[in-house]
Amino acid sequence: MASSQELSDFLRKIERRAYKQTVYAVRDDHAAMDIVQDSMLKLAEKYADKPEAQYPMLFQRILQNTMRDYWRKQKVRNLWTTLLSSFGAGKDGEEDHDPLESIDVGDERENPQAQLESRQTIELIEKALEKLPARQREAFVLRYWEDMDVAETAALMGCSQGSVKTHCSRAVNTLSSLLGKQGIGLS
Amino acid sequence: MMEMENLKYNADLDNEAKHIARLLDDNADRLSLRTLKQLESSRARALQAYAQQVEVKTNRNGTISYLFGWTGQHRMASVGLLIGAVLVGFILMQTFKQSEPSDAFLLSEDLPPEAFVDRGFEPSLNIKQAKI
Repeated sequence: MASSQELSDFLRKIERRAYKQTVYAVRDDHAAMDIVQDSMLKLAEKYADKPEAQYPMLFQRILQNTMRDYWRKQKVRNLWTTLLSSFGAGKDGEEDHDPLESIDVGDERENPQAQLESRQTIELIEKALEKLPARQREAFVLRYWEDMDVAETAALMGCSQGSVKTHCSRAVNTLSSLLGKQGIGLS
Repeated sequence: MMEMENLKYNADLDNEAKHIARLLDDNADRLSLRTLKQLESSRARALQAYAQQVEVKTNRNGTISYLFGWTGQHRMASVGLLIGAVLVGFILMQTFKQSEPSDAFLLSEDLPPEAFVDRGFEPSLNIKQAKI
């Protein structure tokens, strides 16, 4: 059984990546935060007695399942929103702006030009990642970002190792060609 | 030759993917202060839930759970003890039943049941018992 400190260290290590990964998948910052929070709670409540080594796989499984639940609920909500849209709704752009949102905690020692270029590249990657089919994005994120091997990724996605390789290959090809079109090389 | 090309292609693919992953990793470290605070509070809630789980599990390790733990570990002995207790109970019940006058005995008597608790009838009952 992992100690409280081990769980804390694990969550600290993965929380940012988990959040960004969820943002790419659900394209909604608030929903992504809720999903990550739910996943953390589920891990702590239901799998507190598991050894620390199992946490990465367990957490990813919980995260993917919570995202699926979110999409399911979203489908139903979208249906109602479409039906009720004729009654009129508030515009997204009218939401209050929170100044804290615009403050990031990046490395300020980088020169502004490099920072801008890096930010533009990241924005392109993020957009490209969001455009990927869900299974390809899931495979890419688990295999390369979460650094899982093909077998672990296949187990998490519930498909064969061959499918994982195919999804990953297609995802990388799509990403690199999209970035190539913008004049950004990856090798 | 084909195999070599395939390997090179896979290696290139892996390198590109890792490069993208590195960029994404760098970007994940540049979250807004608000998001970082929210993540921190989420982590704190999860740790609180973890502490509650651990507490519940520790409390369960009391006398009752020790007893259940023992029965779980010694199933055969527990079943034996249970059967023994049922047998002893059955034997005791039979012995107790035999020593007590039954309702049938009281109803078949000429005397009313109250006579058996009335001291005035004792001599008459003693004579009856002696005859039997």
